[in-house]
Amino acid sequence: MPYLETSAEWYEQSSLLLKARPTTTHITSKYTVLKPNARKIKKHTKYLEKRAARPADSSRPTSEAPAADSALEPKATFVLKTYDPASGTCLQYQTTKAAEVGRLIGSLGRLGRHQAALPEGMEDLGAPAEATGISTPQMEEDVKMGGAPAEAKANGGGKKKKKGKK
Amino acid sequence: MGREHLTNDEFFAQLNNLFEYNRNTGHGSVYLSQKRLIFDTESQPKTPTKVADDPLWDTHPENPLPILVRAHNNRSSKLDGKSKGTDRKDVDKISISTVVQPEKLDAFFVQYAEACKAGMSGLKKRDRRGKKDKKKKKKGAAETKG
Repeated sequence: MPYLETSAEWYEQSSLLLKARPTTTHITSKYTVLKPNARKIKKHTKYLEKRAARPADSSRPTSEAPAADSALEPKATFVLKTYDPASGTCLQYQTTKAAEVGRLIGSLGRLGRHQAALPEGMEDLGAPAEATGISTPQMEEDVKMGGAPAEAKANGGGKKKKKGKK
Repeated sequence: MGREHLTNDEFFAQLNNLFEYNRNTGHGSVYLSQKRLIFDTESQPKTPTKVADDPLWDTHPENPLPILVRAHNNRSSKLDGKSKGTDRKDVDKISISTVVQPEKLDAFFVQYAEACKAGMSGLKKRDRRGKKDKKKKKKGAAETKG
């Protein structure tokens, strides 16, 4: 199963899949921390010994040292998978960056709106939390809210004009 | 998964525990999944007729549907012979689930994002590279000063 290259692409494809098959499609995400296995540790120690044996390359070791340490640290990955068993479609995206988690969970939320059969348009933060169940009256309120400042501005404008006349 | 669903708040508390457990052991996985909840008492009798009438009924249901969110860790069993060299232990599978109502969806995912950001501490931090560069620059600056 191939991994998609960007999270944006994953989101796009997943939303299309969810639109087509909202009932059967599910999204699974996996956060894994893996310790390096015994073989890898052995390999790495051998590699270190080899490198220590020939110190001829004097310029490089300083830059390679941190990379060598990171090879023995536990490796964490976060994989997102959208799967539809009815059609067999599977979309995956993998990352190792902590910075992406917030955005990815955000897109999980937006995909969740597809799954819940909620309208798509409410992507503005803050507002949708209340506006989901009763969308139409909320919109009316918004219009009213929008209308009020406009009137106020109009009044203000009028006052200014009057002031200007005086 | 015959267990009862937790409330959203309980779910987050348990989810934090799962991540915490993962952090303590230093390895392992946390699985999260979400899907539409269709086997509801209200909507179930309606579905057969809908399927008969319109094969794409599920793309435009009348009412917003709740979402089922699950989380679990991976079970591991201590193998007598094979796990001698490793610190592998018996770990039971812990699975939790909650139902998110459509009205609460956005609030839930905001909280969910926070929980995941806090929990997935093993991932690479963004500013690591930058710090190193800064350190190098500082060192360079110090050398030039000295």
